[in-house]
Amino acid sequence: MLEQLLIFTRGGLILWELGNALKGSPIDALIRSCLLEERSADAAFHYDAPAGCAAYTLKWAFDNDLGLVFVAVYQRILHLLYVDDLLAAARREFSRVYEPKRTSYDDFDETFRQLQKEAEARAEEMRRFKQAGRAPAAPGKKQVPGAASRGSGKQRSSGGGGSGKDESDGYPGKGRRSENGSSNGHENEIKPNSRAQNVVVHGKENGAPRVDAFDVSKLQKLRSKGAKKTDTGGGGCKAAKAEPKKIAKKNRVWDDSPSESRLDFTDPVADRGEGPEVVVADQGESMMDKEEIVSSDSEGEEDEEVGNEKPGTKKKGWFSSMLQSISGNAVLEKSDLRPALKALKDRLMTKNVAEEIAEKLCESVATSLEGKKLGSFTRVSSTVQTAMEEALLRILTPKRSIDILRDVHAAKEQGRPYVVVFVGVNGVGKSTNLAKVAYWLLQHKINVMLAACDTFRSGAVEQLRTHARRLQIPIFEKGYEKDPAIVANEAIQEAKRNNSDVVLVDTAGRMQDNEPLMRALSKLINLNNPDLVLFVGEALVGNDAVDQLTKFNQKLADLSMVPNARLIDGILLTKFDTIDDKVGAALSMVYVSGAPVMFVGCGQSYTDLKKLNIKSIVKTLLK
Amino acid sequence: MEQLIHRVEEWVRQQPIEQIYVAFAVLIFTISFFGLFRVLRRSKSNTILLAGLSGSGKTVLFYQLRDGSPHLGTVTSMEPNDGTFVLHSELEKNGKLKPVHLIDVPGHSRLRPKLDELLPHSAGVIFVVDSLDFLPNCRAAAEYLYDILTKAIIVKRRIPMLILCNKADKVTAHSKEFIRKQLEKEIDKLRASRSAISTADIANDFTLGIPGETFAFSQCRNKVTVAESSGLTREVSQVEQFIRELVKP
Repeated sequence: MLEQLLIFTRGGLILWELGNALKGSPIDALIRSCLLEERSADAAFHYDAPAGCAAYTLKWAFDNDLGLVFVAVYQRILHLLYVDDLLAAARREFSRVYEPKRTSYDDFDETFRQLQKEAEARAEEMRRFKQAGRAPAAPGKKQVPGAASRGSGKQRSSGGGGSGKDESDGYPGKGRRSENGSSNGHENEIKPNSRAQNVVVHGKENGAPRVDAFDVSKLQKLRSKGAKKTDTGGGGCKAAKAEPKKIAKKNRVWDDSPSESRLDFTDPVADRGEGPEVVVADQGESMMDKEEIVSSDSEGEEDEEVGNEKPGTKKKGWFSSMLQSISGNAVLEKSDLRPALKALKDRLMTKNVAEEIAEKLCESVATSLEGKKLGSFTRVSSTVQTAMEEALLRILTPKRSIDILRDVHAAKEQGRPYVVVFVGVNGVGKSTNLAKVAYWLLQHKINVMLAACDTFRSGAVEQLRTHARRLQIPIFEKGYEKDPAIVANEAIQEAKRNNSDVVLVDTAGRMQDNEPLMRALSKLINLNNPDLVLFVGEALVGNDAVDQLTKFNQKLADLSMVPNARLIDGILLTKFDTIDDKVGAALSMVYVSGAPVMFVGCGQSYTDLKKLNIKSIVKTLLK
Repeated sequence: MEQLIHRVEEWVRQQPIEQIYVAFAVLIFTISFFGLFRVLRRSKSNTILLAGLSGSGKTVLFYQLRDGSPHLGTVTSMEPNDGTFVLHSELEKNGKLKPVHLIDVPGHSRLRPKLDELLPHSAGVIFVVDSLDFLPNCRAAAEYLYDILTKAIIVKRRIPMLILCNKADKVTAHSKEFIRKQLEKEIDKLRASRSAISTADIANDFTLGIPGETFAFSQCRNKVTVAESSGLTREVSQVEQFIRELVKP
């Protein structure tokens, strides 16, 4: 049932493998997007091969003492219960056979087959036991694989029946015939012919039309997802996709007051005496170009730790733990790690890191430390501290280049403007920081143009106009109550005509739950295909950061028509001067989205823009 | 206080003069011994680093040099591979050979800081480039290379570098001349964008090449050479030559 089981060292050498060749490169994807992103405490990792020909689930186990990783790969539609068991057993057996210099372990095949048989037998027993005891619960469990199998069946059918012949589908013939457009009609045909499981699924979901919408949108979701986890909660996607008719655009009414007849208060092009605009004199170098002076902190951390450590280790007995820490033979168990990790988690949370992020991070660090031997003369807390510091450094280090100037030059060579879109919720500082970025780019002799696509908030266009006048750069505006996507499109064409290198697009702030506004944003991004989608988030945000970023990314992925949806490429952290050392929001945002922090806004004037200093953030977080 | 000094002086005068000479000699000898040791040790470092983008073939190369075969294959490395050994092809040769300390640094961008830790102790750097999949990764490779070439340690100590075009056995692999030219062009552009206006060159410690001229690797203060190799088919002779030049037996 398993496609493959792989044992490799942390340095990358494969020590032993058993199974068929895999399509795509799931192991590399696992390492890059999961293990190196400090998500190693997740239950499983889902991978879709790029041509849509296979979908795998991967589970893993670590042996931290020897530095080995055990990975099991199987088809996603299968629901194998014995994999965790098997991985643990394989880890035990292999650690007995392992030697550092040895590189071939062919004799392990036999041992492994034995283990596999035992694990399967155990799982079979447990399943029979459970089925006898709890019959109604079983269909509930099968609901997820049932829906997933139907969804993946449809995926293969729309792909022209690729290589999915050996999947456990009940209807390959029917699947091939149904086309995408007429999916609704064929769905009803397929349902009676499907297996018993799907009938149970059907009954559990709320009525037929809902299921249709669910599947159509799930199909498009599956197509648009790359290697991301599938979202089996299809409740968010409305059935609006199935409706072909267009709804005429109405004015937004926020409360019960009668709507105004004319909301567009913008003046015609000729301004009527708005007062002399002060052209901004060169206010000096933007802080982006200044070197950051990192203060060296004293080692006050050590004393704090001792205080935290004492209540935890009383269990083991002070003398024996001292002896073990000197001799260096203690093997780290979860119970040892728990007090130190709890202290670390509390410390992170006092620094304004979102609660679930701190939790996930601590679990990931625990997974990577369990079973490791303590070095001599080290305490548990210092080992945990070092591991956490490494993990934080790894997360905050960007995984792609954040050299915007280089990207701008590359776009210039190709003869097109570099488009940056600023998105975010209300009131985080998009317009202010847009002006700061424009100022910085101007200092590097780049032609900037502003595009006022915030056509909703009163005064937004005037605000940008003022900035443009002060910085002496062109601005493209169309007033209020216009479609932002069209405005942006025209702005980019205008930029091509007047040879601007960069177009900075300002959008209206919107809450992540607001469906129509998120759809409008998605339309703007898909229509114009910007080079950089910059999410503006304020450093004061707490747990909401996680929600904002996940929902933004999710909506951008779901509501786009193209397979490779554009997601958030970078983060701009604002209001950094208002937090003293509670810098945790940076960590939450980077962890959730995987996007690097490209700028940090630390004040309200043009020069207050700087780069994120990773080492100082990590130091502040762990102080 | 004065009395103490007086007493010490008297005691010293009372000792036979030879003992004092011997004591001094031992002291001077120990100090000079340690000093020499430190000076000698630095110039004889035998550490070579393997760096490059993720997927360029560093781990395969590491195991080729060590064991003569990449065994069952490799996956993306999460930690450096560290080993001190005599190169596999030279095991047959008799005579005293100095073992080489080879470190394979992971190429994943999140693990880049590890390279900074290991550079101070290295005698040479091998930058591995994937000649098969070169053009899509050209910019990223050039940026990484530029970052390494502008580090203070490399420039000051003139640590030699070998740019290795790996996977040269494949039919569609680019030639080393092409790769060299492309890298030079990209680095030229990077020079312009990184150190254009700002006087405080924040990202990089030094600037490369001669301003006003297009960049060429011969302008670097440290020696940069280009070679070809193939990790999977054991065509590593040029690599071994480079290593042997640096780590003299």
